[in-house]
Amino acid sequence: MKTYPEIIKANQAWLCIDCGKCSSVCPITLHLVDGYTSPRLLVEGAVTGGEESVIEDPLLWSCLTCQRCAEICPSQVQFSNFIQNARQLAREKGHSGQCTHSGMVQGWMRMMTDPGLEQKRLDWLDQGLRTNPESDVIYFPGCLPYYDAAFAQMDIEGTEIARAAVKILNHLGIEPAVLENERCCGHDPYWQGDMDTFRKLAELNLEMISRTSAKRLVTTCPECAYTLKNTYPEQVGGLGLEVMHLTELLAESENIGRLFPQEQNGQVSVTYQDPCRMGRFMDIYQQPRKLIGQMGFQLVEMDHHRHTSICCGTSCWSTCGKLNKDVQAERLKEARSTGGEKLITSCVKCQIHFKCAQSDPISGQDIQLEIQDLTTLIAEKI
Amino acid sequence: MKKTVEKERIILFTCNWHAFSSFEAAGIDNLPYSPSVMPVRISCLGRITPGIILKAFEGGAAGVCLVGCPQGECRYQNGNQEAFGVFEESKRLLRLLGYNEDLLQYKLITAGDGKEFQAHVEHIVRIIQEKRNIR
Repeated sequence: MKTYPEIIKANQAWLCIDCGKCSSVCPITLHLVDGYTSPRLLVEGAVTGGEESVIEDPLLWSCLTCQRCAEICPSQVQFSNFIQNARQLAREKGHSGQCTHSGMVQGWMRMMTDPGLEQKRLDWLDQGLRTNPESDVIYFPGCLPYYDAAFAQMDIEGTEIARAAVKILNHLGIEPAVLENERCCGHDPYWQGDMDTFRKLAELNLEMISRTSAKRLVTTCPECAYTLKNTYPEQVGGLGLEVMHLTELLAESENIGRLFPQEQNGQVSVTYQDPCRMGRFMDIYQQPRKLIGQMGFQLVEMDHHRHTSICCGTSCWSTCGKLNKDVQAERLKEARSTGGEKLITSCVKCQIHFKCAQSDPISGQDIQLEIQDLTTLIAEKI
Repeated sequence: MKKTVEKERIILFTCNWHAFSSFEAAGIDNLPYSPSVMPVRISCLGRITPGIILKAFEGGAAGVCLVGCPQGECRYQNGNQEAFGVFEESKRLLRLLGYNEDLLQYKLITAGDGKEFQAHVEHIVRIIQEKRNIR
């Protein structure tokens, strides 16, 4: 376990020059109503005041770890990572963030750490979809079946995304392996500083995936993709195969050519939300745009797009309140102002959070806009 | 004493009104029921969430039962109906996690009826004990 001076050094927090660029872009700082805090103040407190000052800062648990501040920081202070490390230390002292949905999501994630668990999570696989346990491509749907069960009243695309992904892979001649007992990738416990749950989940997934002969793992969730690709090798060990988000695979020239042989012309304009883990964390900006263009949609960008994109407002199923709803409402207003008919995203969580904001009986009225996942959009077009 | 206490725990979430009153009536009338049952009183069954139910199972509960007021008699208008939605949602989650759906039960009981309470509890305990090994 690292100490405070170590995490300050490891994340370059001591190089902060107090310029305040982070404060000007932080979506949380922007919408704060009571009191004032910002990444700059938290880092300053950590360097000068130490542990207590960080624990007392509300940003410790409300930070979205969206990487917007780290991206603009001239001193390369790794703020998101610093927050992850600080949460880990704060947890040891008995502090924790406030779980949303009464800790339901954290509950099923912890329950998945039971090695004897025999999940029944593949009910969504229709007969028309072809899978093969010996395949060299694994499709990792992540928590999609669970979101479907938990947020049915919000009409989200949960397992529809998973079905669409297998349909697209089948169309390309790939029969993916879908693991019956895969666990949550551990993204949320990791970013909440719950290393115990994260390690248990990661070890179970590692063991399960290493038993297959697959060479590639494809997922439709940016958080799963980032965690399996980057966090696992750092924390528990690499999977020994290539991890990619579905859009990366589909945007490869041979695949895009087979999906859409000719660039189609269409009049429908759409806008695109860059998920944080996919954009700023993995630098996947071009691929989804290429696919949207090839399908014949007119892409109208929001003011904040690509590396300046704004987070969907809630992260890790923790600390969601008025502030987060304000972030979501403002982002949806921005999406509506493009005049696009749909908001396309590649992350199921963006969809859940935006649809949740839209379901508000009062503030939801001004922010209605159809939201669809890129995967299901592609599946409709092939 | 230790021998008479069974290890398994069945958590019974009872609302403060009809359900808890029938639970108390069973106690006053000295009606015996399984010692596995652990009642947890909440103000209204509408307070229950899937997170709380999952937490009970995570903590090792053999089963969970939600007990509330009869239809149309909820103290807070529609708490029992809200709880039914939560019950359905939690069953879907439990199924995904590989648990038998019948380990979660939902019952509406009239106030002051200790016998009905006892009969329901015994019925629920039997179902849960039958299903607990069938995941």
